[in-house]
Amino acid sequence: MTGAPAEPLLDRPHGAAPRPRLLGLRRRERDSLDDLGDRGVMSVFDRRRRSVRASMTGVHVFLFAGLVVAGLGPLLWLAKAAVTPTQDTLSTPFALWPNGIDWENLSTAWNDIHIDQYFLNTIWVAAGSWFFQLLIATTAGYALSVLRPRYAPILNALVLATLFIPAVVLLVPLYLTILNPPVIGTSLLNTYWAVWLPAAANAFNILLVKRFFDGLPREVFEAAKTDGAGPFRVFWSIVLPMSKPILGVVSVFAVIAAWKDFLWPLLVLPDPAVQPLSVRLPAVQSQTELDVFLAALAISTLIPVVLFLLFQRLFLRGAGLGGAVKG
Amino acid sequence: MKSSRRIAIAGITALAVAGALAGCTSGSGSEDGRLELRVATFPPGADQAAYDAFAEQESQFEEANPDIDIVGVEYEWTAPTFAAQIAGGSLPDVFTVPFTDSKTLLQNGQLMDVTDEIDELGYADKFNPIILDEVTDSDGRVYGFPRQAYANGLHYNRALFEEAGLDPDSPPTTWDEVRAAAKQISEQTGKAGYATMATGNTGGWQLSTQADSRGASLQTDDGDGTYTSTIDNDATKATLQFLHDLRWEDDSMGSTFDLDWGSINQEFAAGNVGMYTSGSDVYTALVRDFGLQPDDYGLTVIPTENGGGVLGGGDIAVMPPNLDDATKAAAVKWIDWYYMQKLLDEDAAVADAKALSDAGQAVGTPVLPVLDQATYEESLTWIEPYVNVPLDQMAGFTEGIFEQTPIGEFKGQTQPIYALMDNLVQAVLTDENADIDALLAQVDADAQALLDQ
Amino acid sequence: MTMTTDPEVAEAADDRPPTPPTVAERRRRRRTPMSWLRGGGLSNLAFVAPMLIVFAVFSWGPIVRAIVMSFQKTNLVAPPVWVGLDNFARVLADPNLGTAVLNTLYFAVLALLFGFPLPILLAVLMSEVRRGKGLYSALAYLPVVVPPVVAVLLWKVFYNASPDGVFNTILGWVGIPPQPWLQSSATVMPSLVLEATWAAAGGAIIIYLAALISVPPELYDAAEVDGAGIWRKIWHVTLPQLRGVLFIMLILQVIATSQVFLEPFLFTGGGPNNATLTILLLIYRYAFQNSLGGAYGEATALSLMLAIFLALLSWAYFKLTERWSTN
Repeated sequence: MTGAPAEPLLDRPHGAAPRPRLLGLRRRERDSLDDLGDRGVMSVFDRRRRSVRASMTGVHVFLFAGLVVAGLGPLLWLAKAAVTPTQDTLSTPFALWPNGIDWENLSTAWNDIHIDQYFLNTIWVAAGSWFFQLLIATTAGYALSVLRPRYAPILNALVLATLFIPAVVLLVPLYLTILNPPVIGTSLLNTYWAVWLPAAANAFNILLVKRFFDGLPREVFEAAKTDGAGPFRVFWSIVLPMSKPILGVVSVFAVIAAWKDFLWPLLVLPDPAVQPLSVRLPAVQSQTELDVFLAALAISTLIPVVLFLLFQRLFLRGAGLGGAVKG
Repeated sequence: MKSSRRIAIAGITALAVAGALAGCTSGSGSEDGRLELRVATFPPGADQAAYDAFAEQESQFEEANPDIDIVGVEYEWTAPTFAAQIAGGSLPDVFTVPFTDSKTLLQNGQLMDVTDEIDELGYADKFNPIILDEVTDSDGRVYGFPRQAYANGLHYNRALFEEAGLDPDSPPTTWDEVRAAAKQISEQTGKAGYATMATGNTGGWQLSTQADSRGASLQTDDGDGTYTSTIDNDATKATLQFLHDLRWEDDSMGSTFDLDWGSINQEFAAGNVGMYTSGSDVYTALVRDFGLQPDDYGLTVIPTENGGGVLGGGDIAVMPPNLDDATKAAAVKWIDWYYMQKLLDEDAAVADAKALSDAGQAVGTPVLPVLDQATYEESLTWIEPYVNVPLDQMAGFTEGIFEQTPIGEFKGQTQPIYALMDNLVQAVLTDENADIDALLAQVDADAQALLDQ
Repeated sequence: MTMTTDPEVAEAADDRPPTPPTVAERRRRRRTPMSWLRGGGLSNLAFVAPMLIVFAVFSWGPIVRAIVMSFQKTNLVAPPVWVGLDNFARVLADPNLGTAVLNTLYFAVLALLFGFPLPILLAVLMSEVRRGKGLYSALAYLPVVVPPVVAVLLWKVFYNASPDGVFNTILGWVGIPPQPWLQSSATVMPSLVLEATWAAAGGAIIIYLAALISVPPELYDAAEVDGAGIWRKIWHVTLPQLRGVLFIMLILQVIATSQVFLEPFLFTGGGPNNATLTILLLIYRYAFQNSLGGAYGEATALSLMLAIFLALLSWAYFKLTERWSTN
């Protein structure tokens, strides 16, 4: 929407910084989360006071219990319910397998609901969105930041303008565009292009990438040019390799967004054969017995949770960066 | 979604393949030179046996028609996806739509004219004329093949009846008895004695059913293309009061009030619901898609009072209007073979029943005849050896249904008005102090506004 | 539909650092087709083209089309007809609009009450603990990783209104009678907000944690010199230092909640009796719910009105907070 941003959101690297820092996060922020060095609200003195120490224990207990119950609890329950017969889940939701474990739920979910296929579709949706978002963001960022043709400011303004339009405005006209796209003349409904291409028209990515490129040292490009490297060469061999941090960030955003998206794929992928999990799960709910359905939910949750646990730092840094970007 | 949905699924004696094929792409031949015909099959979530049965029928058809390559497409009539598929031209070459939408679709030019083909096949005069009217325009042109019809019935769980000390062989015959039985089931078993659909337009569909059975008329056809809404009448009010009393005075409707066609079947099949009203043919889906124990199932007619009748509906097999001639001919062949011959021809009926019964699908679920009564009754004798549904547990329905007055769904803005009526059902079930008079007056006015557009 | 609408970002991008004119720029002074070619016009175009096409078809085009369509009657079968302001008039006369606006407001207010202070509190507490910060962050972020559709479907099971439902069982342990949750007009909206808060809080916590780390420790030292205790430090140092982030997060949350769709769509479909019909759900119903063709004109008219309202709101908000958030 409109409005004057209060302060520059990313303090970008100025001028010819020797090495572009990750969007200018200050050093302390980079090793943020378990950073023990710097102080917070409480001083060393505060921490020594008995009352403070007692209440810090309270804080620990509160945080630990609260976060385990709220963050982990639902997932643990889901894991339990996934291998519990329906009647047990319905009548005694917290009893641990009063009538035995029903492992078959998992295979039934996998085979009958075809989780494998929809999971593959989900990956396909995410992979394509990721690729096209990166493609558009890097080429556009390069053109607008490094090549800077005369019309660059106009393009820049047009791209930025789309940031102010809430997604809901696009819903219907974009849908009609998918039904009846210009030039190619055949509907994109039920093809992944209908998800990938609109996702690629993401001004936020271009903005992030362009601002990062703005901070890259120009001398390197000039030197390469003098050595006879053309614009493609500079892009591929110099700019991209120097931009891994921002490419990582855009990648995380792209994949997460594609993974979570629901309404748009629901509209443009009506054919069950191509639907991702997020669209498919609600559709089969009423035809599926509760225990098998919970097993399907558990399987669908497992993969992102495992990915998160493996790449925790990347996720949390990405999320914190969302904050740096936003705030 | 309501009736349509149920129809789409239920009706399907297992294989409702409403052939969905991406209308547009159909003309193109497949690689081996055969004509590819995309036909609608079952809704998402059907079990493997249904696919097996379809595969068997597909190969039979292809053997008889070696130049046609049948491609089954998962298909379920639901309001939002149907609109998208129409707009996007991604419907199958053969699919089914409920009666509630057929008139509007054919008036919009969204269905293929099949008058000549039906004449050629020679059974135009065999259709039940009331039903054929659902797909006939004002010039007498016909736009589809009525393939299946149903009447609403009262489905009940025999096991819960017994557990509650009720006699499962003499189900309730008046709405007062329904209420008493529901209360008894609820008190004795802790399950919902009675349930009714409330969301996704099914609330309006079943409210119509129950109001019609009490003598309501929800809409008047003015005969000049306009309609007058008469939802606000004593019978509708009595129905809502009935639901309100079961919910709030007797507490015999359980704790879930956002059921639709699928979830109420699920609850019923799981033994959590004593009684509910739905299409007579839902047994097929209850067993196939929801895992119902056949022994627990009971079906009887809906109680009628004050001159009320039984609401019915059905669906038709149709094609999009843009098929080329070759594809259209193939599609007609398929519809004739897959949907019609088993109603008309002894060999086809037997082959169909055998294929279904071999695949463990229901044969003999009660429906209403789309053809004349004599043909229908004859066809029942053909398939008798294969009937595997518990007919004696459906005796209340099969013996009583032809005594009841059939009523069709109202024609003007059916689905949008069902959506409005959903709110009536939801209101009385979730708000003890719902003002029924005011709600009815409001919905009546809103419905009239829709009709006047 | 993964557009972002972060106003601050867009604005900030415009003040790009002055960089010396590049060689390419100097060459561009005199322009002929030849010099354009030699100056890299063609390769510039090659880099701009992907973005140009994708934005033209899937962003700029649909935005313009949205405006056009809001003045037309379109059913995709017959050619569109200009109808002036009819679509707007019809939407404004729709009795459901008032319901949808009130419900959306109700959702937004509840979401602010539940969802705004809680993450701040948790983040402040978490930033003070010395050990286990990583674990707490991961636990808090876990719900964000669960795909939103899965989360809603799982919570729908939790909200089973029978006395043996998951939440009702928990309530039973502490002697609270079973609640109807989604099955009553009175409790349905708070139930939706509860799930939405659970799903979103983790992201906000991580953002606040990152912001808290950048509070200069000297400020705390200074406050201590003035004799401030822990609570006064939080009140007078921490929160004021966070205000930039807080202001942005607040307006972003308002913008997001005003477009809430997933929860009402999947939990209740807008029921019971329209108690959870939100603006976006109403737009969806206009466009996609009727099997006989959508009221696309009404849908775009309503989405434009929502967009304009949000634009005005954000503008007013930034005007109001400008003074407090800078300095």
